[in-house]
Amino acid sequence: MTTADLLTALPGLMRGAGMTLLIVLIAIAGGIALGLPLGTLWSALPSRRLLRSLLWLFDRVFRGFPALVLLFLVYFGVGSIPGMRISPFAAVALALGLRSAAYQSQLFRAALEMVDKGQRDAAASLGLSGTATFIHILLPQALRFSLPGLANEYSVVLKDSALAFAVGVVELMSRGKFLSMATKDTATPYLLIAAMYWVLTQLGVTFFRQIEQRRRIPGLGTHASQSRANRGTQP
Amino acid sequence: MIRFFLDILPELGAGLAVTLKLIVCSVPLGVLMGVIVAMSRTYGPRPVRFLAASYQSVFRGVPLLVQLFILYYTLPRFGLLLSPFAAAVAGFGLCSGAYHSEYIRSALLSIPTSQMEAAYALGMKKITAIRRVILPQALRRSLGGCGNEIVSLIKYSSLAYLVTLVDLTGAGKQIAYRSFRFFETFLIVGLIYLAMVAVTSSGLRALEFHLDPEHARPWPLARGTARPIRRSRKFASKEGHIES
Repeated sequence: MTTADLLTALPGLMRGAGMTLLIVLIAIAGGIALGLPLGTLWSALPSRRLLRSLLWLFDRVFRGFPALVLLFLVYFGVGSIPGMRISPFAAVALALGLRSAAYQSQLFRAALEMVDKGQRDAAASLGLSGTATFIHILLPQALRFSLPGLANEYSVVLKDSALAFAVGVVELMSRGKFLSMATKDTATPYLLIAAMYWVLTQLGVTFFRQIEQRRRIPGLGTHASQSRANRGTQP
Repeated sequence: MIRFFLDILPELGAGLAVTLKLIVCSVPLGVLMGVIVAMSRTYGPRPVRFLAASYQSVFRGVPLLVQLFILYYTLPRFGLLLSPFAAAVAGFGLCSGAYHSEYIRSALLSIPTSQMEAAYALGMKKITAIRRVILPQALRRSLGGCGNEIVSLIKYSSLAYLVTLVDLTGAGKQIAYRSFRFFETFLIVGLIYLAMVAVTSSGLRALEFHLDPEHARPWPLARGTARPIRRSRKFASKEGHIES
């Protein structure tokens, strides 16, 4: 592959990267929109309720199935129902979004449970209602606790979005494959998209770290993190 | 549905055998890589630390699918021809090794420095102290994270199909295309993966419980442990140790 080839291919690869980011954005946003209520339900519902078992089933399927199998299940499965058609892009967005929602519900549940129980009592003693406690006390802290996990989720979804290639969405991975076939070069295109994915991962993680820093409240932490800070560690 | 399941069972079984072989080969490779990289990033000289950190960054920052493509399609250009199976095992091992190493490294760092000092005070050399005092504790502590990584490797083993290996997912896709029963086939395939994940994570949870010094009992499972294991699961899920 020559430099001229590379220059003509670059805009296509950039559009591929844009498509990849679009998939990631939809999946993460959908994941938050569905995962936050689900995580709240997880932490609030008592066990042995019908709803709880439904949640459990959702969780098992979307966290226990491999992403690729999930994608095939949505794309080919929904497509094979008579009268139903689903575009590859919609299938990818749906599969990755639901999968991300299942992971994020666990993330938000853990974050909600990290908030010190004393705060709930304090809110109750101030006369705050359950909803007010949730919105003004629990949620702002839990969202902060969940930020590192969210950064992690971004990097996972970004990497899983490469699977969209398997159902024919033209994103970064497919562009790389096409380029490799067109130029009969099996090295440069793949190394190039690997580098682009790496950059996207680093950018995203830096972005989330920025938010984390900006939203940080000095002194806010869990008991675990405080005791970890006090203990001398290696090396 | 049940009839269909029985019909496709032999073919799925053949695919499942490939998947299991993949997992059995790549999990030890990943853990080994993880220990080596974590140790060199924590205790190595500066250039080695840098190399280990770059390895982690690259293999955690690039999609596994791209890594597999590079191993399978790009390496032959440089004179290294890997079979699909070898490429998949190498990819899974290297990628999960990067994740393992991060868990093991944070576990290594979490062991209080006083333990190292105590080991020195007893006259141990640094390498002996790490091997006999620090590493066993760190491995025990990292079991939760590494367990999660093993579980996720089981799920990601399905990517082997995209480098032309007919594993469980590949067998499922062939059956689906032949029978046009896409939904049932992929549901069954997914449930088989789910079963593998469930068995592995409960096994790892039991292992974690038994390696916990608080409940130390001789291996294999001593009598009367059934109840404490269940209690530990509750504990584990609350603390977010092993999940699936």
